[in-house]
Amino acid sequence: MECNEVIALSRQEHKPLQVNPIKHSQPMGAALAFCGIRNCLPLMHAAQGCASYTKVFFTRHFNEPIPLYSTSVTDITAVLDGGDYSILLSIENITQKNKFAPELIGLHTTGLTETKGDDIRGVGMHIEIPYCYVNTPDFEGGMESGWALTAKALIDQHTKPQSHVRPNKILLLPHVSMSPLEVEKLKALCESFGFETCALPDLSSSMDGFFGEQQGKLAQGGIGIDEIEVLGNCGTVISVGSSMRIAAEALLAKNPRISHLHFDHLMGLKMSDNFIGALMEKRQIAPSPSVKRWRGRLQDAMLDTHFMIGSSRFVITGEPDMCVGIAELLQSVGGTIAAVVSTVYSPVLEIIEAERVFVGDLEDAKTYFKDADLVISNFHAERILHSNGEYHAGLLLRGFPNYEELGNQLRSDQLYEGGTCFLFEVANKLREVKHHG
Amino acid sequence: MVNRAKIKELLNESACSHSKEKKPGEGCDKPKPGLAAGGCAFDGAQISLFPYADAVHLVHGPQTCLGASWETRETLSSYEGRDHTVMGFTTGIRTNDVIFGGDKRLEASIDFIMKEYAPEAIFVYSTCVTAMVGDDIDMTCKRGSEKHGVPVVPVHAPGFVGGKNLGSRLAGEAVLEHLIGTKEPEFTTPYDINLIGDYNVTGDMWQYLPLFEKIGIRVLSSLSGDGRVGSIRTAHRARLNVIVCAKSLITLCRKMKEQYGIPWISVSFYGKRDTAFAIREIVRALGDEKLIAKAEEVLTEEEEKLEARLKPYREMFAGKKAVLNTGGNKSWSIASGLQDLGIEVVATSIRKSTEDDIEKAKAYLGPNGVLMKAPAAEQAKVIDEKGADILLAGGRSLYTAIKKKISFIDVNQEKKVSYGGFEGLLNLAEDLKHAFNNPVFANVSEKAPWETVSMEAE
Repeated sequence: MECNEVIALSRQEHKPLQVNPIKHSQPMGAALAFCGIRNCLPLMHAAQGCASYTKVFFTRHFNEPIPLYSTSVTDITAVLDGGDYSILLSIENITQKNKFAPELIGLHTTGLTETKGDDIRGVGMHIEIPYCYVNTPDFEGGMESGWALTAKALIDQHTKPQSHVRPNKILLLPHVSMSPLEVEKLKALCESFGFETCALPDLSSSMDGFFGEQQGKLAQGGIGIDEIEVLGNCGTVISVGSSMRIAAEALLAKNPRISHLHFDHLMGLKMSDNFIGALMEKRQIAPSPSVKRWRGRLQDAMLDTHFMIGSSRFVITGEPDMCVGIAELLQSVGGTIAAVVSTVYSPVLEIIEAERVFVGDLEDAKTYFKDADLVISNFHAERILHSNGEYHAGLLLRGFPNYEELGNQLRSDQLYEGGTCFLFEVANKLREVKHHG
Repeated sequence: MVNRAKIKELLNESACSHSKEKKPGEGCDKPKPGLAAGGCAFDGAQISLFPYADAVHLVHGPQTCLGASWETRETLSSYEGRDHTVMGFTTGIRTNDVIFGGDKRLEASIDFIMKEYAPEAIFVYSTCVTAMVGDDIDMTCKRGSEKHGVPVVPVHAPGFVGGKNLGSRLAGEAVLEHLIGTKEPEFTTPYDINLIGDYNVTGDMWQYLPLFEKIGIRVLSSLSGDGRVGSIRTAHRARLNVIVCAKSLITLCRKMKEQYGIPWISVSFYGKRDTAFAIREIVRALGDEKLIAKAEEVLTEEEEKLEARLKPYREMFAGKKAVLNTGGNKSWSIASGLQDLGIEVVATSIRKSTEDDIEKAKAYLGPNGVLMKAPAAEQAKVIDEKGADILLAGGRSLYTAIKKKISFIDVNQEKKVSYGGFEGLLNLAEDLKHAFNNPVFANVSEKAPWETVSMEAE
């Protein structure tokens, strides 16, 4: 479709269907979040297909086995069971068959089980293993909110209230689009300032692509439930991404003495400066020489790439918290953002200063591909962009899913170092498109 | 609407070999809570029909059903119009649709699709939520069909009714009820067949269709690899239904025999022997002496050509032993291919196989072959005992291969090339050659310095 009308940024949909969707569901975000909890058994309260699709989706994206189970709701249990039967029997069946002892059951709902209205909180009374429940219907929100709601639920249900803090302890709350390596680098930076650092969820040691004898039966690595229980004594909680504010607020409710720092993203010089400035203020020490060195490299990269990026037009699609960071970094070196097409509505979209910002699908985004030099989007944009020679724009793959490229889990676009690499990657892509197209 | 009687009938297909041993009312694959691993009925239905490139496939449900599944299967199409198989269409229902019903949204979506894309047909898939809310999908489709003058086919295979296999059967029902017999072919020949259950993944069909062409077998319609809605509507005029590997569409073939008198046979196109056997079965079933003679002539010629091309691989693979750990028909079809290449298959998995599959696996592997019921636990031991050189399995077994320092091929990975037909065998041979020659498996298994370097106390 060639859409001539301009689509406004709104919570309302502008058409009855999605054509070539970019939106991913809430349950998928929740499932991924539980993969970042050590020895967690992620259990989707759903028909078997929801979990199967989700498992295949993340397996292909991360190139890793994904631990994910479903309660296999059938047409019969959908009507006759209030949830107790299928949830309890699933846990029994799974733990008996696999002979393992999960440290947490991470249960979340889907459109099906929300429609039938199960009492997933009540079921918890009959479960002896620590249990966390999240309501994530897939007819509301998206992957980003499902991930954030899970982080919030873990804190709400498992973190103990406290009245004292350990000033040197930090909790990071990364948004769903941050890669395992990005979380690791962020943790390492905080640690370099002498902070005891946790991340929730923590994919850095669970989905990072590590060779070992893994069967992918329970979440490996990640943050432990014992650690989540004592997060109430953190001196500081840092939410990265607007979606993660709800999780930070949940933690503040456990201990009002915790101080909260929020960053919409950590891409580019300004936001990285803000972040490092905040850590310096807390610790009253200077960053390590390597951090300073990387700042200089980012400055140099900005100058090196400004000519290429400054004369180019971009279309960005994806989760809101990812889009806002990419747009701001590109704009900081003069890039023109022709359109940002977001998976779902988020208030953070309102601050993006692009020619167009709206919620839509790839059919909508396609309208803006024509006079773009570079499209930053997921795997699905590839065929649309390159199948019929209609577009000259290049493609940089970011966000979910990225089925074809390898090493997605070890890509970092954040902070001084990541921003430097990102700018060079963008400029090199543009060179291919503009001079060799 | 989908009703329990229909589901029961489909689950107890009398033509299924394993049905004999089941008590009445016992289903094929009622999922056990927590243990059902594969896709759902919707998944199966979508896989079965999605390759129709001239139709739009509209998923009426919440976000997961299509959002996580579109453009994931390499089902190739030669369609020259706009190929809808690489596109995704979903109503992506919201809370309001759950409360007030999604019929209006569905109707508006059908109108939108006809206006913007004008396909030959629309398949509308119900999903758990829209089935449970009770959207009147039949009525909305009927109205859409009357309004726009193209088939708008409701596919009632919501995920919670069962597994992929059942969904595939339900898709067959939808095609039989709404499409087959609604149009006459331009012409017919005595050699017209329908191909049922080959989805042309990575171009599997294209590996053997050239042989059909040489012999003179005409594919009237396909369900649904490289298929067109326009031709499946004429399927009732074919002389023979040929089921390729898939057991799930037996019901459809039985019903087509009852309604239209079309006989059916079940074949496989993996490996040299199976491909030749399949072609002989087809021409014999069509029963034309001239065709049978032509088939023999073409097969002799093609097999000779293939033999010449396989020879260097056979020399290369002489004495090599393989362990195969994969599910369903792959447990014997890949074994057959490996044997055609001169590799001894010392063990295969029968964990997820049907009775038929197990019988075939037994026949292919012979008396010394090991049939592994619990391959994850057994395969390491079998590799040692039999001295296997290569493990062909899913990604999770890679660690076993590395530990045993043998080569590995991930057979469950989304393939980019076909292993089907005569040509596909050469693709398999190439992949094997690369796997045998690749030093990566040995290199990765080297010990780390902190496992070997002794550090004397300072």
